[in-house]
Amino acid sequence: MDLTNSLQKLAAYRPQRTPKSKETLEKGIVILQNNGYAKQGDEGWESVEKLALAALDEGNVEVADRCLQLLADKFPGSSRVDVLTGIRMEATESPETALKFYDELLEADPSRAAIWRRKASVLRQMGKLDKSVEELSAMLDTFYTDVEGWLELADTYASCQQYTYALQSLSHALLLAPQNPFHFLVFAETAYLAADIPLSLKMFLVAVDMTDDDDGVVPPRDSIPTALTLRAWYGVKLCTSKLTTEPRAASASASHTPAPTIAILANVDELATERLRTAYLNIKGVSPPSADKELITVLASIIQ
Amino acid sequence: MSSSAVSLYLDPQIRDWVLFPITLVMILVGILRHYVVLLLQSPPKKLSNEAIREQRALVRSQIIRATSSNSPIPPTFYRSISQHLSQAYADGTFLKDGPPKEGSTPPAAPNPLSDPAAMDGMMSGMKTQMVMMVPQMVIMGWINFFFQGFVLIKLPFPLTLGFKSMLQRGVETPDMDVRWVSSLSWYFLNFFGLNGLYRLILGGENSADGSRDMTTPFAAAAAAPQPPQAQDFNKLFKAERDNLEFAEGLYSWVGQDIENRVLQKYGHSE
Repeated sequence: MDLTNSLQKLAAYRPQRTPKSKETLEKGIVILQNNGYAKQGDEGWESVEKLALAALDEGNVEVADRCLQLLADKFPGSSRVDVLTGIRMEATESPETALKFYDELLEADPSRAAIWRRKASVLRQMGKLDKSVEELSAMLDTFYTDVEGWLELADTYASCQQYTYALQSLSHALLLAPQNPFHFLVFAETAYLAADIPLSLKMFLVAVDMTDDDDGVVPPRDSIPTALTLRAWYGVKLCTSKLTTEPRAASASASHTPAPTIAILANVDELATERLRTAYLNIKGVSPPSADKELITVLASIIQ
Repeated sequence: MSSSAVSLYLDPQIRDWVLFPITLVMILVGILRHYVVLLLQSPPKKLSNEAIREQRALVRSQIIRATSSNSPIPPTFYRSISQHLSQAYADGTFLKDGPPKEGSTPPAAPNPLSDPAAMDGMMSGMKTQMVMMVPQMVIMGWINFFFQGFVLIKLPFPLTLGFKSMLQRGVETPDMDVRWVSSLSWYFLNFFGLNGLYRLILGGENSADGSRDMTTPFAAAAAAPQPPQAQDFNKLFKAERDNLEFAEGLYSWVGQDIENRVLQKYGHSE
């Protein structure tokens, strides 16, 4: 993993207790006791970093400290070690201390994107959303190509219901990585929350178009939608049902997106229903209810 | 007069004591040069945030233009980003010293003597030049001094008479075949030919090859410092506005007709 990639990953780190982190921690502790990392060469150091992050996930500060010590001894002055130290500080010390630490690092070298992002995420955790947004925007103005940064900015805006700004940030993310269907999905969901249903519908359909396997063995109409495609179809269904039940939503698009005609809307609705029913049948083994409202509620159970 | 019937017989000691030592010395000096240049190279200067932002400002326009004919974002968003960028370029908000004040003359290209950053670049270029030149001079002098007055080797390819004076310095005879050359020409052959060997030993990007520098002695000094510092970003930004306009003309949203496309794909259209 080269430096920029690893720094980006560290900048985006959030403590999450997952079974995977627990497993990494358990295995890692054993190797740590036997001092096995010294023998693994370059890859060993990456595993040490992973172990430190897993330990922080699980709240095991002592193991994290030992890993950090190993890394700091081996790579003094490394930017990755600095970011890790910051992350560890965030876990135990007060946010103000972590903030001061990041500020010192940024004063010494203002062009460190990873440190800037961690600072913004600490501010966000502290609840100072406007400051966090300010820092993140300043950082993205200089380092425009940080897709994850734009996604985080959009997330922050969405959490305060500032959906226009969120959509604008997401459009930057889309411009930077248009080949990733996940970004379209996030855009569509944010547009739905912003009550811009026609836009949301179109974006969900784009996500469907991108993720269904139209070069696969089975032609699309006979295939069974999975994962992202399923989620996108669910979004399509929500939009179409909203547009049919509330005709006002069709003309209330903040982005002036034209809503589909009644005929097309009906067709899309029918298609979405059929796709979702196929998926449901495949996963649960029973036929879902036919009325729209119950269908939607029941489908929520199979969407991740 | 061809001298293929008469051939000179050279003392094998010439081969042992001149041919191989010259080659060996040149190889070793080349390798030494490579490492000295590596040591002399200072790390690239860090740019301030404003300078980074200025350098990358053009990339933003390129990113939006790259996908404009099949753009992922809806028209209102595209237009707002495009117009915001266009306005920022016109106002000069991306320039590292801020927007140009009213009535001030546009800054001249940085004078190498006064701009410290360009000066550093030039100095490092000059340093590498020195390291390359000095060993060449020394070796040439050494060869001229010690190994003059005899022929060293017979070239496998014929040459014209014009080369006689250069390649047979010290043994001027009117009718010795030009293919018999003195040690200076062996030096030149090595000088131009050892590049391949250096590539084997030191890898592709080595600084041991002197022949490249001979072709661009002063172009290298000018090209070594970072080019962007010599560019006038203001002009570049203004030019980029035209590009943005073109792209806006080409713009088309990927979600424009997506309903029909999807319906067709699934065989639902009537």
